[in-house]
Amino acid sequence: MRKDEQIKSLFQRVCCDDNIQAYNELYIALCTRLIHFSASIVSSFHLAEEIVSDVFIALWQKRNDLLHVENPVVYLYVSTKNLSLNTLQQQKRHQHHALDHINPDMLSIAPEAENGMVSAEVSQKIERAIRSLPARCQVIFRLIKQDRLSYREVATLLNISSKTVDAQLTIAVKKISQAIRFDLSDEVAQTFLRIDS
Amino acid sequence: MDQERLYALLAREMAGELTAEEANTLQQLLQQYPDASYIREVFAQNWVPAGKQYGPSQVQQLLEKHQLRLQAASLPEETPVTDIAPPRKVWKLYTAIAASLLVLVSLGAWFLRQRPAQKPAPLAQLVTAKRMRSQILLPDGSRVWLNAGSKLDYPEQFAPHSPREVHLEGEAFFIVAADAERPFRVYTKAFRVHVLGTSFNVRAYPLEDSAVASLVQGAVEVILNNDSKQVVALRPNEKLTIPVHPVTTEATTAAPIPTMAALQKSKLTLVQDSIIPETAWVQNKLAFKHLELEKVVVMLEEWYGVKIDFRNNNKRKLYFTGVFETESLEQVLNAMENTQSFTWEKDNTGKIWIR
Repeated sequence: MRKDEQIKSLFQRVCCDDNIQAYNELYIALCTRLIHFSASIVSSFHLAEEIVSDVFIALWQKRNDLLHVENPVVYLYVSTKNLSLNTLQQQKRHQHHALDHINPDMLSIAPEAENGMVSAEVSQKIERAIRSLPARCQVIFRLIKQDRLSYREVATLLNISSKTVDAQLTIAVKKISQAIRFDLSDEVAQTFLRIDS
Repeated sequence: MDQERLYALLAREMAGELTAEEANTLQQLLQQYPDASYIREVFAQNWVPAGKQYGPSQVQQLLEKHQLRLQAASLPEETPVTDIAPPRKVWKLYTAIAASLLVLVSLGAWFLRQRPAQKPAPLAQLVTAKRMRSQILLPDGSRVWLNAGSKLDYPEQFAPHSPREVHLEGEAFFIVAADAERPFRVYTKAFRVHVLGTSFNVRAYPLEDSAVASLVQGAVEVILNNDSKQVVALRPNEKLTIPVHPVTTEATTAAPIPTMAALQKSKLTLVQDSIIPETAWVQNKLAFKHLELEKVVVMLEEWYGVKIDFRNNNKRKLYFTGVFETESLEQVLNAMENTQSFTWEKDNTGKIWIR
């Protein structure tokens, strides 16, 4: 399921073989995730697109010095975070040491409505439940559910412990579950329960 | 409290952090709370961004935009006029020469000229001498690198709602700013190139027997200046070579009439890393791939401003591949000579002979 191995192999081909094809594939595989992450920091998709492009330009320019990088995904997320914070600092001319002004609207996700499992109503309820969570909790949920990072990767990226990641994710799951559990009368859910039991 | 445990286990399952033991516990809890299997299934679904979403075609656009930015970042810093490849030892001597040439070139560059017919827009002209290269930003934000011994005519201001037109003699590399309302057109003696937003190289020196359009990014159409007005669409990493009758010093009227049969469309290939021979000059590199020595010699003549000729005509068809950046002419010739296929010497006029 996880594409980590594929990404590691692409990264290796970029750094060891200067392979531009692998570089393009790596960009395609990761750009939207990184853009959403960056946009949550700088509050602009337009700016985030440029920041992620700059992260990949730096990757190409420094590729031969990056052979020691153990986890390319985390490396690219951390680079994106740092460059986003730098950009914000230049723009607003004051310090942002940590991700304390995150804009979680940029990270909001929900199940695809009308896919047979989830009605549009349930999908909206989930979205609302997520938006009601604290910003950091939303970021963690997004990084795990959508970006498929591991506890350790999220912990490294956000400078928190794996335990905190686990606790925050549990809060998110609880909130979302409670938002939809009263909806088990929902037609789609009923159908599912009947099939399942 | 079992419910709290259930949420924690659902969270860990979603994160792929569930241990085998926890998986068993989860199974038991799911039997206890049958409605939880619906919630579990919802978390297992593929979720999508609720706000802005990038579909596959937008990702492709992002990639193309990124490639242009990467290319621009890999090119040398913007300088009005660059002196080509003088060995670093004699840098000071060259600074003096470069400074005086710079004055001459700038005088030529900003020399205004009234266009004979319809359009009143004042034209500017950028000219590069032999051994000189230059880079400019056009008024629309497009960037042009002009290779040695070339001339680019362009309006000081592009008119609104009509095509952006420039005239080229020689070689230039373009990164065209996208503007759907005003397509970009490059006119040469042999063909014109229609562009939307892209980067490409045009080589059309009056003394050469072919004109070449090479496309790196985007899409362009090349329209030949022959009777048929044949249109050839180029895709990224393709080049079109059009044979023309070189303009000799006496006969300036020799019209370039390429025949369709002789048109040659081919792929751009990398010499090494990401270096494409057709555009290597933009990055101050001299590159050639599987090229006849007689053509390599022409490149060396341009690059180093020297005369090179053959004493032994059999050597003209030897093939060479190479990339050079800061090497002196002697170093380049010695490197090629090391293949044991030819020798070279300099006569007392400074002309180089290959035998």
